[in-house]
Amino acid sequence: MLAAASSCYSTPLNSPPKLNLPVPKSMGMNSGVADFSADPGFAERAAKFSIFGSRSFNCRTTQFGPKDNGEIAACRFDPSAANVKLPRVSSSPAIKTLAANSQEESTVSKQHPEPGFKGPNSRKRKAAPKAKTNETSPSPSPNSSKVIKPNEASNEKRCKLSESNENENGSGKAVEEDANGSNTRAPEPPKDYIHVRARRGQATDSHSLAERVRREKISERMKLLQNLVPGCNKVTGKALMLNEIINYVQSLQRQVEFLSMKLATVNTSLDFNVESLMSKDVFQSNNTLQHPIFPVNSSAFLGHQSQQNPPLHGNITNGTMTQCSVDPLDSAICPKLNTHLPQINQFIKTVPQYPTFCEGDLETLVQMGFGQNQSQEMALHSQNFQGSNQVSDMKVEL
Amino acid sequence: MDLHNLNPSSLKSRFTTRFLRALTEINARKPIASSSSPREIFQRYRRIKDAADTSMAYSVRSRRTWSKATLWRLRTPSHRRRLASFGRRSSLNKTRTTTTASHRGAVVVQITSRGGGLGVQLEELRELVPGGEAMDLCNLLDETAHYIKCLTTQVQVMRTIANLYSLE
Repeated sequence: MLAAASSCYSTPLNSPPKLNLPVPKSMGMNSGVADFSADPGFAERAAKFSIFGSRSFNCRTTQFGPKDNGEIAACRFDPSAANVKLPRVSSSPAIKTLAANSQEESTVSKQHPEPGFKGPNSRKRKAAPKAKTNETSPSPSPNSSKVIKPNEASNEKRCKLSESNENENGSGKAVEEDANGSNTRAPEPPKDYIHVRARRGQATDSHSLAERVRREKISERMKLLQNLVPGCNKVTGKALMLNEIINYVQSLQRQVEFLSMKLATVNTSLDFNVESLMSKDVFQSNNTLQHPIFPVNSSAFLGHQSQQNPPLHGNITNGTMTQCSVDPLDSAICPKLNTHLPQINQFIKTVPQYPTFCEGDLETLVQMGFGQNQSQEMALHSQNFQGSNQVSDMKVEL
Repeated sequence: MDLHNLNPSSLKSRFTTRFLRALTEINARKPIASSSSPREIFQRYRRIKDAADTSMAYSVRSRRTWSKATLWRLRTPSHRRRLASFGRRSSLNKTRTTTTASHRGAVVVQITSRGGGLGVQLEELRELVPGGEAMDLCNLLDETAHYIKCLTTQVQVMRTIANLYSLE
């Protein structure tokens, strides 16, 4: 075993001229690394090497310790020298590739000095939460991810070997991934993500990182929508949520149509005699409130109505005035309409509590002015507005 | 409740003022008579609805895609819209394919199954939200949220006005 190792090492060392050929090509670090990543058997060789255990490592270090150190030193101070080393590495067997890998690691880390210290094991995990934050700066170069890939793959196989090296320079590599995420994020607790180990290059792939960011954004927006759409808290899952959202938007649009139709039919003289009309019309509309679902509301409305006639002041507080906050509007509307304010204000304050009033009023209008078909349409429309989830395909098409 | 709490620059107040202005203008143009035919009333309804949508789209300060689309839809006549829809299709993402159908001036977009089973609903949502045809899911959800907020405001204001009017 030792002899084999030594022989492997001897041959590349004894044939430097052969290896000079690829050197003149302007090989940057990254292209050298690209060779690595393109090397299909790299992982297998790395794995094989790790199986050998620490024996061969020791042998290597003892035999080529000074040389390696020299190489490493050279790499540190002269990155171009690493280019010379790399082609040798790529054509050599597994042991040498690993050795060169350690060199390359050091060079890479030296070339990308960045603050921040992360443990090697948590590197892959950190990539995910980094991507999770929305301040993802675009990765500085796709090359950096490629650099990380073989490093990661090899690191997983032999974490113990150059752990000191990694720890020292792990910040560089980890922060390269951070560049994909956010540089300011503190170390994430490992329990946030399932630590995926076996898949090579999955978490660090710029594509999957971007996809993850995208997915996070989408789920964030869905949560916002959940707050907007009433009754969505119980629903989970994108499809059901989307259904709810679609229903809600449809119902809102139909409400707009309905209300504009109502406005179109209403008598538009702005100065109208309110008091007499109020007593008459409102009572009429009360009597025509035949909505079966809200009998309580209508009776309560009638109760309010009886209180309404004597002049009131804003003691009628509507705690449930969720549908429309009328009061702020009155100050905007009233100066323009020149109507009798106080009684209307009071009346309107009570109105929003009972949405059926709209429908009842409309029914009176309908009976007055419209034919049968339209009244049925309107009635059906009014049913739809009670926030039910039945999606009827009816539109007010006249 | 305090009547003076109204924020003069809020979305609601902006919409209200614009809408009321439009309403008075519509009324001045053709005052409603007790003997209006249903057709007239329908025309009036369309005008009021367009006025409501336009005033809401104008009131949106930060220019949103849906507001631009609404204004565009209401301004350009339908024949020009169909011509423009051809140009619009080219700006769609590569993840989507388009059909040649045009539905009320809006381009119906077929979404490939990349959405993972959400295709039908996404398409529906795109149809509902004006200007939603050429947006990816992320922005579409954003637009939907804003659109819902503005629609609720619109409904509130219109309901109040209708109540006021109907009290005669």
